[in-house]
Amino acid sequence: MAVQVNSPAPAFELSGVVGKEYRKVKLSDYKGKWVVLFFYPLDFTPI
Amino acid sequence: MDAQVLGISTDTKFSHMAWVDKELGELTYPLLADFTKQVSKDYGVLLERLGAALRGTFIIGPDGLLRAYIVQDLTVGRSVDEILRIVTALRTGKLCPAGWRPGEPHLPPIPGNSGE
Repeated sequence: MAVQVNSPAPAFELSGVVGKEYRKVKLSDYKGKWVVLFFYPLDFTPI
Repeated sequence: MDAQVLGISTDTKFSHMAWVDKELGELTYPLLADFTKQVSKDYGVLLERLGAALRGTFIIGPDGLLRAYIVQDLTVGRSVDEILRIVTALRTGKLCPAGWRPGEPHLPPIPGNSGE
């Protein structure tokens, strides 16, 4: 499966750090907003 | 820019918290833990040999459609300026020529094309 511009972005639900808390975040939480999603290889390295 | 930023790596949420605590300080956006690597795979950025994601940036519209992406190898950092330029250009909903910068003129709409 490959992503394609002008097609729906793959949905996800992940745990993570929001502020100083652990929380679950879904892509669909941001429906109605522009989202900039960035992947990076490893914590403690430059983004 | 009024867009939601989300960061993802294949580290655990505990590693993310340690990074926030020790180096980053509290962030204004979520850092998400893709420890099963499925989301990295779905977006085509998983480097299998490292079990880690390439530096991929994906711009998603309010309707959930992917509108742009840039993926580069591990050795090159991102251009925040370019990402902002693309988001700003997309948000105008108009035709933006090569090298368009915010505030510059748009191209006239192409007849029979929605212009998006």
